[in-house]
Amino acid sequence: MIVTNRKEKVGYYLFLLPAYLIFAVFIFWPVVHSLYLSFFKYNIVTITSPQFVGLRNYLYLLKDEVFWISCKNTLFFVIGTVPVKMFLGLLAAMLLNRKDLKFKAFYRTCFYIPVVVSMVAISIVWMLLFNPGPNGVVNILLSKFGIQPLGWIADSKLALPTVMLLVIWKDLGYIMVIYLAGLMAIPDEIYEAVALDPVSSWQKFWYITWPLLKPTTIFILITQVIDSFQVFTPIYVMTEGGPGYSSTTIVNYLYDKGFREYEMGIACAVAYLLFVVLLVLTILQNKLSKAEEVSYD
Amino acid sequence: MKKLLLYLILTLIAFLMLSPLLWMVSTSLSKDSVIVSTSLIPKEFTLENYVKAWNFPRIFNKDVTFGTFFLNSIIVTVCLVIGGLFFDSLAGYVLARKDFPGRSLFFYAALITLMIPFYVTAIPMFLIVKGLGWINTYQGLIVPFLSSGFGIYMFKQYFQTIPIELEEAAKIDGYSDFWIYARVIVPLAKPAFATMGILKFLWSWNMFFWPLIVTTDIKMKVLQLGLTMFRGLNVTQWGLLTAGMTMATLPTILVYLLFQRYFTSGLIAGSLKG
Repeated sequence: MIVTNRKEKVGYYLFLLPAYLIFAVFIFWPVVHSLYLSFFKYNIVTITSPQFVGLRNYLYLLKDEVFWISCKNTLFFVIGTVPVKMFLGLLAAMLLNRKDLKFKAFYRTCFYIPVVVSMVAISIVWMLLFNPGPNGVVNILLSKFGIQPLGWIADSKLALPTVMLLVIWKDLGYIMVIYLAGLMAIPDEIYEAVALDPVSSWQKFWYITWPLLKPTTIFILITQVIDSFQVFTPIYVMTEGGPGYSSTTIVNYLYDKGFREYEMGIACAVAYLLFVVLLVLTILQNKLSKAEEVSYD
Repeated sequence: MKKLLLYLILTLIAFLMLSPLLWMVSTSLSKDSVIVSTSLIPKEFTLENYVKAWNFPRIFNKDVTFGTFFLNSIIVTVCLVIGGLFFDSLAGYVLARKDFPGRSLFFYAALITLMIPFYVTAIPMFLIVKGLGWINTYQGLIVPFLSSGFGIYMFKQYFQTIPIELEEAAKIDGYSDFWIYARVIVPLAKPAFATMGILKFLWSWNMFFWPLIVTTDIKMKVLQLGLTMFRGLNVTQWGLLTAGMTMATLPTILVYLLFQRYFTSGLIAGSLKG
């Protein structure tokens, strides 16, 4: 053991200082201040100092129809993207997880490239591909099958699904990589044990692979739900929440309140409601991942 | 036969995944026509779309080109990667190796930051940056993100796998803790720096919400923000639009292709953090 003197111990805090100073100023103070501001009326353009209003910001949200629409849209987005991404990601991982497969690295790279592409850039490309009317690429392709041009992002029923399609396409490769790591962690001996028994590959998947992948699945499910609750960029770029409010999500609503109307108090109340939901999910994940320690014995 | 079907399916998926990007590149290299191209191979090859896209921001301010946005993104990304790696690894080092009052408190504080979503803190962060007079400055874009709980956690875990004997030898020779960190630990932890560096690069290069709220001056816009200005264009200028998007997309794809192995290890490390 190395003997340390007092001067050295002071030195340790200097190592921590830069990182934790930033945490203090830009995370810990804001997380408290955000709660505090949610009880104040604070329009940074019209009033100079915050005015205490109690729970009025929260009551405003409960009565605001747009807020409810944004919650509904967010839920629709989460439910419509996460399971689809996970199903397709697992499917891709299963297809690639074969010892005798050639060009494995090539296929994996192809599936993964959308993940690293800039969300803003690809959202603008998506707007061109799904351009409403007869001059959109997808509409031209559909017309070859005799399908009438669709309104896509200009249609209040299709705007959000068009964005969801982009997000599924973009995140699929990420989920595939995580599932591949999960699949590779399953020892071959487990499959070898049943190699002589008359079991179908479906049975192998359902009784061996799927249960052993459960910790991976839980991890992906919860982190993806948490991320999807906070979707902002593709919607801001492609539809700005429109047409009407048909594709507004919670973070888009927060942005509009905070940085278009400058109502900081209301925006903080939105942030805190979102925080409560996400915190419950995080705690749930910690509980589940502890309960699901992998064991191959 | 079954094998052939598998390759066919995989090739089809790969094609579907890449086709939006192939269309983007192909259209950017083609002369604009009256009807949008649905081809994945350039027709009437030209590079003029790139020149147009490069100069497009001059419409808003004659001194600003695509290069301005690029430069801003490079400055912000380089500072965030280098500064972030330095701060995170410094903290990770003492948390991994030293014992002092409050050590576990500091460690849990780093983990707690992982549970706080950015949007919850965004408004007070904005008010602080505004109060400091940092709107439309590089420090406003950089400083709030110079440290990350995930980075500290990753470095701490990695440093703990390095044998302590080397440090003890250096210690007996009378070297300081910082010397040991810089000359012994950092060189031995290159893979951890590469992995974290890549994650930080991707994150910094693609960040959007924060630049959106703290920069209003076109000269200070980072690339992701500059791209949104292209939305105002007539959507029939396919060539110009796709050229701009191709330029913005290439850096991350290139970095991915070059450093692929660090990406995968980073992702898997990320997936184990919970």
